[in-house]
Amino acid sequence: VKLTSSEGTEFIIDRKVAEKSVLLKNMLEDVGESDMAIPLPNVTGPILNKVIDYCTHHRDDPFVSQEDDSKKVSDDIDDWDAEFCKVDQGTLFELILSANYLDIKPLLDLTCKTVANMIKGKTPDEIRKTFNITNDFTPEEEEHVRKENEWCEER
Amino acid sequence: MASKVLMGNMPELMENILKNLNNELDSLYSCALVSRHWCKMSIPILWQDPFSSKRKPLFIPIYFSSLDENEKFALKECLKEGLKLKNGLISKLGKPELRQKLLSDSWTNPLITLQFKLFLESGATLHKLDLYHFEYLKFESEIFLSLEQNEQFFSRLQDLSLDVIPVLDIENITKLLRILAKNTTKISVLALDFYSNYESRLIEKLFPALIHLIKSQEQLRKFILNCPKEDYPTAFHGIVSALESQKNSLQEVKLDGCGFSAEFEVLNNCKNLETFRIRCCNTNLLKILDYNISTLEIVGFQIDVPTIVQILGKFGILLQRFKFESEGGIWEESLLIEALKSFCPNITYLYITDIGFSTQLLELIGNLQKLQFLSLGYLRFAYDITEEELKIRVMQIAKILPSTLQYLDLANTWVDSVIDILLNHCNAPLRKLLIGRGSLDNEKHTKAHYGVFAGNWSPNLNIWSSKLNFSYQIIWGDFNRNSPFLQFFEK
Repeated sequence: VKLTSSEGTEFIIDRKVAEKSVLLKNMLEDVGESDMAIPLPNVTGPILNKVIDYCTHHRDDPFVSQEDDSKKVSDDIDDWDAEFCKVDQGTLFELILSANYLDIKPLLDLTCKTVANMIKGKTPDEIRKTFNITNDFTPEEEEHVRKENEWCEER
Repeated sequence: MASKVLMGNMPELMENILKNLNNELDSLYSCALVSRHWCKMSIPILWQDPFSSKRKPLFIPIYFSSLDENEKFALKECLKEGLKLKNGLISKLGKPELRQKLLSDSWTNPLITLQFKLFLESGATLHKLDLYHFEYLKFESEIFLSLEQNEQFFSRLQDLSLDVIPVLDIENITKLLRILAKNTTKISVLALDFYSNYESRLIEKLFPALIHLIKSQEQLRKFILNCPKEDYPTAFHGIVSALESQKNSLQEVKLDGCGFSAEFEVLNNCKNLETFRIRCCNTNLLKILDYNISTLEIVGFQIDVPTIVQILGKFGILLQRFKFESEGGIWEESLLIEALKSFCPNITYLYITDIGFSTQLLELIGNLQKLQFLSLGYLRFAYDITEEELKIRVMQIAKILPSTLQYLDLANTWVDSVIDILLNHCNAPLRKLLIGRGSLDNEKHTKAHYGVFAGNWSPNLNIWSSKLNFSYQIIWGDFNRNSPFLQFFEK
């Protein structure tokens, strides 16, 4: 299967690897056998390369159905995946967007868990600094939110 | 610059990230304080399961203040319904996942504590209190304070049942018993589910509180003591002796699984004791009874008949209701029948199971000229009885039924197949007959019974149906629950 990144770089991968993406799997089923490259205008070459790495490593994993959100935890990442996610923040969010666009749920879950782990245990100010977020609360609003949820602080 | 994922452009992705923190209250709380968008995204996750056991008491008033008018109304309605509040609130306010959470929570759940407190302070008065599974009963101190302050709550308590189990939280339950003893004197029915092998701290702390509670009552009428049958405990640590304080009011005692203890001699001082029921107990308990018993129930395995005969000789003349159920058959049944015939002419209710058909039994039934209710469960005929002989026996039974008999229970006997013989020869003014499934298995009888139901008599049924003011209650198999005999007996 031929894929073309947003800059026009061409990638050739096994169909089995490509089918880890629900988007590509559906396309391939619709189009059938073809030599035409599938354009992926929302994915850059370096990111597509990372995505292919991930799909190749997990090519034999069973299909994962939708899991219950309440059972989600952020600390069940295996070593290869943890190493895979050791990238700069920009790349991490690009991977999230690409996994979402290509519909690769395990990759989306993995990258979202990685971001969740970056949030875990931090104060509001530390979170803002980590992700470069501006505090747009008025003091009154902030106090209101604090008061309404201060039960979370009970020990 | 922050990723657009975190800036509000892709809310579904941000939600996907934050849902990984659903067990991290502290982190979600931090997220809520980051910015307006983060607040909007994290609050629903923070509040998605508001009654999880991890939630803290401070959460409760905040939760209630967030209810709309309809939800507040539903809560008030629940409070009016009383202590079944848990389920009430769950069904009216909760979503399925919330229900599950609340049902699995114990009394320590702050929500339950708050509801109970509100209930206490609403001026409610309790008439019946069943305390089972004490291990879950861990009231917060504020509940005890509220119980002490709201004396009306227990002031009209009439019926108290409690498990006396070794694993309970003794301090907690002792405190509750002390409050009960202080605030109520009106308990008329006290049921204790006893366990043996008590720890010394149970005997030292809980039992004195129970004894104090019994002694503080003014009119205990019925006392029920259930023990583990395999143990037959003989030590009651003064609880039975405490009934001395109720000697003028106690009318009924029901014992299950009790061994013999000299403490039971106190019952001889209870001049108004008229109903005595024992189930799987040491029958020597019966020997302590001297007089006045009008209702006697004995259920057990291979009951010692000579002892029963001895006590029937003592107060049989007063006996009006007698139930005898011996699992595994009655040994020396002729002795029992003879005693009933000789000493108990005033029986109005007779319930005997697993007894053999005999001339002696016929004579007994014929002798009981005040008999209104007769139940012969598992009446045994000879093993090799022919149908003709069975018809003769049933005819004999039908003919000797006293003219006072209103209710006849033959549900678990073998007479189903010849029930028409019984009906055709019965002169008793039966108002209710209990028969078994077998009566309807036969096509002929099925038609007959349906005829009775429809008021559409067939010619041969007219013979007896015209003589009897009849109504049927057909029961299937297990009749004990629905039997009017038992209902009568239990009154």
